[in-house]
Amino acid sequence: MYSYKTGIEQIDQLCGGFESGTNILILAPPMSYAEQLAYALTKPLEGEYAIILSTNERASEVVDYFRLSGSDKRFIGLIDAITKSSTPGIADTSRLMFVSSPTDLTGIGIKFSNMVETIFEGEFSEGEPGLFPPPIRFCINSISTLLMYRKLEVLYQFLHVLIAKLKKVDGVGIYLLNSESFDTRTLSLIKQLMNCVIEVKVEHNISFLRIHGIRGASPDWQKFSVSKGQVTILP
Amino acid sequence: MISTGINGLDEMLGGGIPQGSRVLYSMEPGVNGQLFMVSTLCSALASGLSCLVILPHTTVDAFRHDVVAMRAGSIELSSEHITFIDAIDRERIQKSTRSQKMAQKEWKARISKICHEREVEVIFAYFDLIYDDFGMKGGLDIIRPGRDGPEPTLIIEQLNLEGAPLLTRCVQDFTFDVVISINASYLPVPHFDYFTLVHISWSADPVRSVPFIVTEGRIVPYIPRIVVTGPAKSGKSTFVSSAADEGLSVERVGTEGDPTTVAMDFGLVHGMGFEITLYGIPGKPRFDALISQMFRNTMGVILMLDATKPDSLTRAKQQISLIAGRRIPVVIAANKIDLPGRMSEAEIRTALGIKDDIPVFFLSATRRADVRYVLESLVDFITKFPY
Repeated sequence: MYSYKTGIEQIDQLCGGFESGTNILILAPPMSYAEQLAYALTKPLEGEYAIILSTNERASEVVDYFRLSGSDKRFIGLIDAITKSSTPGIADTSRLMFVSSPTDLTGIGIKFSNMVETIFEGEFSEGEPGLFPPPIRFCINSISTLLMYRKLEVLYQFLHVLIAKLKKVDGVGIYLLNSESFDTRTLSLIKQLMNCVIEVKVEHNISFLRIHGIRGASPDWQKFSVSKGQVTILP
Repeated sequence: MISTGINGLDEMLGGGIPQGSRVLYSMEPGVNGQLFMVSTLCSALASGLSCLVILPHTTVDAFRHDVVAMRAGSIELSSEHITFIDAIDRERIQKSTRSQKMAQKEWKARISKICHEREVEVIFAYFDLIYDDFGMKGGLDIIRPGRDGPEPTLIIEQLNLEGAPLLTRCVQDFTFDVVISINASYLPVPHFDYFTLVHISWSADPVRSVPFIVTEGRIVPYIPRIVVTGPAKSGKSTFVSSAADEGLSVERVGTEGDPTTVAMDFGLVHGMGFEITLYGIPGKPRFDALISQMFRNTMGVILMLDATKPDSLTRAKQQISLIAGRRIPVVIAANKIDLPGRMSEAEIRTALGIKDDIPVFFLSATRRADVRYVLESLVDFITKFPY
């Protein structure tokens, strides 16, 4: 079974990374740089692929982030739920797809399937071969945005289906959720879909994380920083 | 009747959608089936019907671009026959109303007004957000214009996150006339797409599924495999080559100096609203292992026999036994009726031991019209067959 390295020494040394089929929820307050943590975990290593569903940033901004962190853009696909509302005529490419808004779960599901299919058919990365079967890291850069537009029950069902599809292709999922904007019922329902939760907090301008769901991982808060797509646990 | 814009589907519905019907296109998440509703919309506009399109998830401009991309070409969506309610209207309604009840009332009032003023004949509704906001009963209620005169036809596209129970509710509780579920077979990525005709209120035909492909912006029902089998020299290669628009045959000179198929005949047929792939397989017993494999995933079988050669029926009977128990529609094609001494249908049925559930057709495989008739009958059989 393929293991997805996380770049977090503690996890990689402990269990070799995330097992395929793992779903990780990053539970973080606003302005905690949790997005950077999510992108660092999504960053594809050599031969891997990444698909990011962006519900709150334009595709160009997300692509820039990955470019600056040294990723090969030929292995990164973006489903952008923001740009089309202001640029209705924007056209899809194999690695850059657009849906009309974060409400459009039908469109999101279709673009996700199309992208995965293109990766499996070897037509994704401009002839540059990746590993096969292709390891895919999938990230939703905020479930919070989807929750603003759709009912919790509907979103739960949708994520359930999406996660099942990701599992079938042995991918991993990284999902960001604002820990302060939703009630405990919402948080607990979304957590039910996950195997691992990384909590994030910021105190005195220092970021901390705490990992649940990985056997042997320390249950304590640990200082961390993210630079150029690399997570470092600080002493 | 309103055409769905998909020829094969119209055939299966008995010509199209009767005016005033309620139609559901239920989409399995991730399946590229949005072209179903768009095809029906384009078809209604082309017929000059007055249409209201409700798209609470997107703007009119974005929708126009999506439709053009889907249909692989330009399409007239700025016609005087079309009116939209889009995401901007939804936002206005949400902002101007203080409760769900008021919003529901406002939606209903807007839709009724448009239906009345524009004499709307068909309503196309992307239903997901309406369903979120008001549920199925409340959502359907706002879409009913409640005017004098005939009810508009209602076509709904809905992302089905609930599976079969939602379809059952739509049939039993909300009296939809047509329920079509659009699905994919995953292996582990979508292997092929198919639609299932779950319910037609005016027909007692069983639930059946047909794969489809998208070609040049059109949905084309697709029969991935029809096998043509039968005893040697019954005319299988001739049948495939007469039927096919494109194809090839692999033949060698046999021991008796005439050509015999040593591998397989292959043909592509475009017609009857379907794309069909035909496989003609050799009739000699040494190929029987191949035949068994070929029957996997086959949607229909044509058993060819030489109607002038009673002694070949022993072999034909053996071949029927290879099909028996597989729940595949089979038809018998009794060939060479242009030659003297053909057997009767009763003689063939008795010799093969088959009942009335397997049709027998007489033909000359050299005549394209005969061949096409057999093929059309089999396609008709396939689309009604409960696999």
